[in-house]
Amino acid sequence: MMTQAVPPASGMLRMCRILEVVAHSPVLKSFLVPRLFDALPGQFVNLWLPGIDEKPFSISGIRETCMELSVKAVGPFTRRLIECAEGEWVGIRGPFGNGFPLEPGALLVGGGIGMAPIRFLAQMMAERGLPCTLVCGARTRADLIFEPELLRWGCHMSTDDGSCGTCGQVTDLLDGLMAEHPASAVCAAGPEPMLLRIMEFADRWSLPYHISFERYMKCGIGICGQCCVDGSGIRLCIEGPVLNRDQTRLVTEFGLPHRDASGLRPGTPASPLGKR
Amino acid sequence: MNPIQTTLPGLTLASPLVLASGILGLTASSLARVASLGAGAVTTKSFGVEPRAGHKAPSILPYEHGILNCVGLSNPGVDQMIREIWAYRARSVVPIIASVFGKTVEEFGVVTARALEAEPDMIEANVSCPNVAAEFGVPFGADFGSCAQVTGIVKKNAGRIPVAVKLTVNCPAIGRMAGVCEEHGADVITAINTIGPGMLIATDVRRPVLSNLTGGVSGPAVFPVALRAVWEVRKHTTLPIIGVGGVTTVDHAVQMLMAGATAVGIGSAVHYGGVDVFQTINEGLREFARANGLASLGAVIGTAHSEPPPRGSGA
Ligand SMILES: Cc1cc2nc3c(=O)[nH]c(=O)nc-3n(C[C@H](O)[C@H](O)[C@H](O)COP(=O)(O)OP(=O)(O)OC[C@H]3O[C@@H](n4cnc5c(N)ncnc54)[C@H](O)[C@@H]3O)c2cc1C
Ligand SMILES: Cc1cc2nc3c(=O)[nH]c(=O)nc-3n(C[C@H](O)[C@H](O)[C@H](O)COP(=O)(O)O)c2cc1C
Ligand code: FES
Repeated sequence: MMTQAVPPASGMLRMCRILEVVAHSPVLKSFLVPRLFDALPGQFVNLWLPGIDEKPFSISGIRETCMELSVKAVGPFTRRLIECAEGEWVGIRGPFGNGFPLEPGALLVGGGIGMAPIRFLAQMMAERGLPCTLVCGARTRADLIFEPELLRWGCHMSTDDGSCGTCGQVTDLLDGLMAEHPASAVCAAGPEPMLLRIMEFADRWSLPYHISFERYMKCGIGICGQCCVDGSGIRLCIEGPVLNRDQTRLVTEFGLPHRDASGLRPGTPASPLGKR
Repeated sequence: MNPIQTTLPGLTLASPLVLASGILGLTASSLARVASLGAGAVTTKSFGVEPRAGHKAPSILPYEHGILNCVGLSNPGVDQMIREIWAYRARSVVPIIASVFGKTVEEFGVVTARALEAEPDMIEANVSCPNVAAEFGVPFGADFGSCAQVTGIVKKNAGRIPVAVKLTVNCPAIGRMAGVCEEHGADVITAINTIGPGMLIATDVRRPVLSNLTGGVSGPAVFPVALRAVWEVRKHTTLPIIGVGGVTTVDHAVQMLMAGATAVGIGSAVHYGGVDVFQTINEGLREFARANGLASLGAVIGTAHSEPPPRGSGA
């Protein structure tokens, strides 16, 4: 009795050379690599620096023959990665995760390096002639990526210090934009406090939303359990990273520090709560 | 009656499929989700006394025929896992198996005693992780004496809670090892853990891909090895067996039962069949029971050892 065959494996490693490096600032760079596969905006890959480590990065754009990743140096791995030059070998596994839906008339909101998947989304919507409103927030002008392109797309910008666009939080812009020009949905990626404010904003206006969240990841293929969110237990590397309202409603860990590589949430008291 | 119901010491499982340790087993929410999707029991990620971050990435690497992993027993530590198990129990009635490990025999004893605070339905002693040899030395499961000692102390400290010992094929003779565990108080044998370890090299950069260079092999590639191991364990003991290793289809699950397993572990199959794999295989098993006129799947357990071929099978 032979029943279902084993479906083909995915999540396997592919090696490629970096084709081009684009420096946005000393700590922000984009890397062009060969287009190894088709992907949706919001999907991500695990990038391996041989002998060093492997970490998740959103796809920030896809062109005919290449795929782009945009990286902000925040720690040991990303600091090492942005030193990489054209021609260096990297390993790529993916594409992982679900990705954003293409919603005509959506507000696309990116905060900081969260602009990476939003830029890919804007690119794809532009290619398909789907209207959208682009909004981008950063701490300072130096933290902006894709500025020339964003300006060309008529992106609404805000910086915390007013060095580019309006001064303040990106969420401050949203109510004004909505009043002017009602949107059909919100798609967003960025720092979690900003994302939580966007959820409030969307609730206030009864807008559907699709928001990309980050958690510590290892496998990318839905088995290690590292990226499962408390509440529903869904895996951000498979069912996410983009969650809608029905999914976020079941998450109970927003606002808490993220679980680390051991699975422990920093700040958890050492001794268990005890029984019952 | 539920034809796919099975039993392990002190437990009734609505399905023979048991979520294997290390797969979606870090948090209460994740375990409860898998339970709600059709697992007959769930096993936690193996935990020890202290939190461990494990090896760097890549630590999990699918290839054409399976998966390599060198996760390295990453876990949040017993304090946190006690909370997770409690939180799980508040949400699910599906039995939960607490998988424990120690660096020393004594540590196995300590973590078992602590794990009891969570009142799991079973303790599984993982004496078979292949990914911590540099740090822990040869796995306890590779040596009759050490395996006996660990089984003894875990059994003693587990009190009335049944104890499973999870074995590896990386040992002189897994059947005899199971016999040793039985003599020293084990109630269940779980077989097998990942095998190898194996290695994969990225030829373009001429270096092994896994951060720890090597990793245990799981998934479809190991199924025949796991099946043979379960067969041998059945020959050497009368203990119930959780047969784990490479099961991705209904047919694999049935083969495990026929080799002598009472329950069937599901690990890497979550990669191949998604979290729905529990539902899919459960349905297939029900269909198998119906098609073969079995009131209970229990009727096929161990039958490959003795049963003459069914009439009309052409054999
Ligand atoms: C789905 C997803 C998409 C991402 N997209 C991008 C992107 O497009 N551009 C970008 O610059 N960064 C992105 N990141 C974040 C990026 O993975 C981290 O910045 C990077 O892993 C940090 O490693 P580090 O050693 O430099 O810093 P560390 O000092 O080790 O960590 C800095 C921060 O990154 C987090 N982090 C570390 N390791 C991981 C890991 N394995 N998985 C998830 N988070 C981790 C830490 O929790 C910490 O908050 C993404 C993360 C996820 C989960
Ligand atoms: C990513 C991963 C992590 C694992 N972690 C553990 C663990 O912590 N403890 C354990 O006893 N087994 C662990 N295992 C082994 C599995 O429980 C199982 O024995 C093995 O993978 C073979 O079954 P499979 O082919 O169905 O995955 C792990 C396996 C994988 C793939
Ligand atoms: S990263 Fe392993 S389950 Fe998501």
